[in-house]
Amino acid sequence: MHDELADAGFTVLGVALDDSSDAVRPWVDNISFPVLLDPNHLVTELFAISNVPTVIWIDEDDRIVRPNGVAFGTDMFKDFTGAEAEPHLNAVRRWVRDGELPLTADDARGRVGDLSPNEILARLHFRVAAQARHQGDEGVARRHFETAVELAPHDWTIRRAAMPLMGDDPFGQKFFDMYTEWQQAGSPYHGLGPSEAL
Amino acid sequence: MPEAAIITEEVRAVDATATGDTLLVAPGRLPDALGWELKPQGLCRADACFPVRERDVLFVGDKVDLGAVAVALGRPAVIDPAARIAAFALDGEGRRSALESLQAPAFELDDLDGRRHNLEEWRGKKKLLVAFSSW
Repeated sequence: MHDELADAGFTVLGVALDDSSDAVRPWVDNISFPVLLDPNHLVTELFAISNVPTVIWIDEDDRIVRPNGVAFGTDMFKDFTGAEAEPHLNAVRRWVRDGELPLTADDARGRVGDLSPNEILARLHFRVAAQARHQGDEGVARRHFETAVELAPHDWTIRRAAMPLMGDDPFGQKFFDMYTEWQQAGSPYHGLGPSEAL
Repeated sequence: MPEAAIITEEVRAVDATATGDTLLVAPGRLPDALGWELKPQGLCRADACFPVRERDVLFVGDKVDLGAVAVALGRPAVIDPAARIAAFALDGEGRRSALESLQAPAFELDDLDGRRHNLEEWRGKKKLLVAFSSW
């Protein structure tokens, strides 16, 4: 996608919600677009992001023309998520090549719910935990990760992101437990669903 | 005085004293800690000032209480004095106004090689921001 549209004044801008470059490198081997590392999840607070992957369309003047949405680069997770990659990729192509927007500014406004006070606090506990972990203080880290998860149990950027940092498998039983609870809670998400506004 | 890790848009190490429930810094170190400076007109950063009605509330002895500063700024904070770590929320008003105005908030992050970047570097291009992760 990036290479196909690069000469049309377009770039993919990756933001990795990971704690180190080493964790990210295997995923971005051979890519030509910029990837930024966000170990403290600043963008999840700035843009009210609660899951990955989340895509945001930002125009030449840094205006958000399509706010937070679920989208995948491939159909690898289609059976699980029900989200097909191609409709979104085609919508991006129409935006870049023809300037066609899938929703008006009025429609785009207010489509992303603000973070709750607990979701903010969860992010702060997550950052304290990550810092404690870097300082080698595993007990302190665990306590703050657990508090973060209690405050935002349906936020993937908190609960799932904490799994590998606490030594848990993010693709294991804890992931499926979270997925079940998230579904039972009505699959909360800050932004557009996978087939909305394409 | 040993250092504490203060987490805002970045992580800074600042000399601090831990008490039972908060961290204290010398008034002159407040800009290093939080990016805000205590001036006669209030707590100031760049061209913005936040009036402080009761200045005494910010102080414990001759030191500034970071928890009280967070309250004065209306920013949620998590302070673990024993661990000597504190995290302060970003500008909530800024986020709400971005969600409403659709102007993307500026941010700075390092790339995988440790080089600092700002969203504004890609002004003039259409950008697909993709928040992703290895987990």
